[in-house]
Amino acid sequence: MSFAAVMGGAGVPLLATIGALLAGSALAALAPRSRLNPRALSISLAGMACVALVVLGASLIASGSPVVASLGGVLGFALIHVRYDPLGGLFLVALGVAGLASSVFAVGYTSHDGAGVDRTAAAYPVFLASLALVFGADDAFAFLLAWELMALSSALLVIGRRPSAEVARAGYLYLVLTHLATAALIVAFAILASAAGSTSFGAFGRAAASLSPAGRDSVFVLLLVGFATKAGAIPLHVWLPRAHPVAPSHVSALMSGVMIKAGIYGIVRFGLEILGPGPEWWGLLVLGIGAASAVLGVLYALMEHDLKRLLAFHSIENIGIILIGVGIALLASADGVTALAALALTAALFHTLNHALFKSVLFLAAGSIQSAVGSRDLNALGGLARAMPVTALAFGIGAAAISGLPPLNGFASEWLTFQGLIGAGGEAGLSLVARSAALLAVAGLGLTAALAVACFVKATGMVFLGLPRSLRAAEARETATSMGVAMVGLAAACIGVGVAAGPVSGVIGGISRGMVGGTSPRAAVFEPVAGLDALYAAGPLAVVVLAVAGVVWIVGVRRRTVRRAPTWTCGNVPEAAFEYTATSYAKLIRLYYGPVLRPEREVSVELHPGTPFPRTVHYRGEVSHVIDERLYRPLHRSSVAAAQLVRRIQSGSLQAYLAYTVVALVVLLLVAR
Amino acid sequence: MMPSTAVFGALVVGLVQVVLTLGVAPLLLGITKRVKARLQYRQGPPLLQPYRDLVKWWAKQPVESDAAGPLTGAAPAIVLAAVVVATLLVPIVGARPPLAGWGDLLVVVGLMALGRFVLALSALDAGSAFGGMGSSREVAIATLVEPALVLALTGAAVAAGSTDLGRIAALGVASGGAWYTPPLLLAAAAFAIVAVAETGHEPVDNPDTHLELTMIHEGMMLEASGPRLAILMYAAEVKLVLVAGLFAAVFLPVGIALDLTPISLLVAVAAALAKLIGVAVILGVLDASLAKLRILALPGLLATASIVAAVGLATRLWLPA
Repeated sequence: MSFAAVMGGAGVPLLATIGALLAGSALAALAPRSRLNPRALSISLAGMACVALVVLGASLIASGSPVVASLGGVLGFALIHVRYDPLGGLFLVALGVAGLASSVFAVGYTSHDGAGVDRTAAAYPVFLASLALVFGADDAFAFLLAWELMALSSALLVIGRRPSAEVARAGYLYLVLTHLATAALIVAFAILASAAGSTSFGAFGRAAASLSPAGRDSVFVLLLVGFATKAGAIPLHVWLPRAHPVAPSHVSALMSGVMIKAGIYGIVRFGLEILGPGPEWWGLLVLGIGAASAVLGVLYALMEHDLKRLLAFHSIENIGIILIGVGIALLASADGVTALAALALTAALFHTLNHALFKSVLFLAAGSIQSAVGSRDLNALGGLARAMPVTALAFGIGAAAISGLPPLNGFASEWLTFQGLIGAGGEAGLSLVARSAALLAVAGLGLTAALAVACFVKATGMVFLGLPRSLRAAEARETATSMGVAMVGLAAACIGVGVAAGPVSGVIGGISRGMVGGTSPRAAVFEPVAGLDALYAAGPLAVVVLAVAGVVWIVGVRRRTVRRAPTWTCGNVPEAAFEYTATSYAKLIRLYYGPVLRPEREVSVELHPGTPFPRTVHYRGEVSHVIDERLYRPLHRSSVAAAQLVRRIQSGSLQAYLAYTVVALVVLLLVAR
Repeated sequence: MMPSTAVFGALVVGLVQVVLTLGVAPLLLGITKRVKARLQYRQGPPLLQPYRDLVKWWAKQPVESDAAGPLTGAAPAIVLAAVVVATLLVPIVGARPPLAGWGDLLVVVGLMALGRFVLALSALDAGSAFGGMGSSREVAIATLVEPALVLALTGAAVAAGSTDLGRIAALGVASGGAWYTPPLLLAAAAFAIVAVAETGHEPVDNPDTHLELTMIHEGMMLEASGPRLAILMYAAEVKLVLVAGLFAAVFLPVGIALDLTPISLLVAVAAALAKLIGVAVILGVLDASLAKLRILALPGLLATASIVAAVGLATRLWLPA
């Protein structure tokens, strides 16, 4: 192996350090059980690599100049070319922060696994390394290698050591779909490579300009299919809500927080930089996919009462919000409105970073709950805030952030996305169709935000408030310190980035302008008071809200003696059965959005013999997932039917197959004559 | 010298707005109740009764459920803070609101969502069925309200080329009658429909109900007592000022002061009072004359608002003025 630095001071040594740490981590996970505790060693090395990733990403963003390196020189050929630029740097920062928190969390979370028995843990550093490579790969070969490693290592982590039937099924579906996505990417890269005569992305960019419009469009659609599948955008999302919940929680956090963003990275890198700017309809398509993912994602999340499945559907929602921003950026750069493109891209990239923070804290908290209670079923949890205050606080902050509430980070990037949409609606340089679509997306984003509030009031309330709904929830205890540290650190980052939204978005704005141009600081449809903040007065507003709330709390709440009494339950003894469940909490929304959700319910009542009084009541309810029902089920059915047809010529006799071969050969010779 | 006068003037206008909006909030509830009572041939409570209620609750000892945690105490404070700070961003008296340039209409909507999130969450803290009822209804209805709310405000933002409420109001006042274009009136109609839902009046919610099974907003604060009840009630009263003030700033800006002369300030205060009292009277009439809609019929009403707002935006884009 040889490293060749072309540019960049500390970049290449840092890259080498990261590679060495992750390699060491993987080796440690494979090491035999010893006094060294390979599990802890492996996790620590991975955590150190994540710190280096943050340093590398931050220095890339700060310096603005790319780091270029070639790796694996064999016989004069370099197999892997990497070029890390500020865009890649941003994704590296997200990866490093989420990875560091996940690694710290894993110290406590995986400790029940015992010392060094789980060899699949070696996939964890490989997963981190492949992600880091995806964000910097500079030729098709390196990119596909990293992409495939990322898919395989994450699949291994999902499936784990001894998978149950459900887990194995989810892992299988994930593998199948991720490879369909890779196949689409390979075809697109092949088209580009044959036009460019090279596999390097730089050559791709030059060749894209010479492609016919139809050729460029088909490459874009193929890449979009590949990347949107990885991102989990509707309608290519089916693997996500199945695979994410069954993975260990620190892996779920990384998959939701960072891995699906590789799809976003691909769309931005190719749609805006290598292929782009394209025609306006690219942006419209991405905007439509984004809006559909956002609304349907959160609607399905509301119907879930498995905490991690709920969070997985929220990943689809947030990918949708990010894609809305990317869509506007594509639209605007197609029409040459670079200031708007930079604003919308900033919104998308900012939300990418924010989602990495709050989704990681939520998944880690879900892991903490699961290890404390042994269940992810909202209807078996409740009242955990008292026993698990740290987890409750971290989850609550993450929930407020993902619901887009000020002063947290989720609000800042949703605010920017709204600004992009309203700006696009009023932008005379765009077509009327594009402007109408942008304004329609305003309603979609508003609906998404309100549904997210509903969903996270439900999730937080059902898990942490009220009375425990099961014995195990009543006996739960706070989990290991390392897990608390990881969660609180991420929650603090959500607050910090939210309060410092202006400076952070300013840095991300620099990356966006580097990609799509635009000279003005940031053309938004809101001009804040000079000197307060670049967006709105995020920090001062937070201080004022906190000050008013603090004063009211001190004079109205804290200084009063409180009498405590049981909750009034119309004369009965309070018990958990009186509380609303996750299912009943979402009932009104289930009915309101019935035309989309098509809820079914089945209630069977068994009476005490000879009396009108019920002995047992059974309730079963579910909603239909319209994409699964209308798209995948027919697809599955027709592919099975096609297989049945083909089966008719499968006689099993060797002579028949030889005859087929001869016939096929003759036909081929006749055709190719 | 000029800047200091401007700063002083802005301070005066801001202070006037703070005193006016925070002081008048309970009175509006009194007016609504009085109008409702008179239309039902009742005497009704005195206009100042809401103030007396607040004082009464403030003096009482709070009772807290033994299932409740720290959220139950913190929630009223956060709810009130969110709604008060939101009113400071809305130009009600002068075109420069007290916190001019701190945030736009999206921040106002965000702060309203923050209040709703915390209140709906705290309703689940005591583990009572009624809290769950009110909370789940509130968040579900909000999903119908918010798209229309944002879409209606977006119409005005596109017209003004800015989401800055101060700038929208100033432009509205400056353009006089030309501000009230058909697209704006459609947006205003949409806003008016959802405003009724957002402030919890008929036909969406009955603020005077004593039947737990029909409560929405009241259901969420059923467990609150003493000063906490006073804080939450006051927050609801200020929220009415917020929503009415938002409507007036965007869709009926006439009278809002553009400069700082005593005359225009006086006019602005009178106009703001007239608008707020007008809204309170209309809500009283609605409360008296409309029956509550079945909760399952609400999407019909509230989706209409979204559609009206969307039609407003479509006419703005596709029909050249």
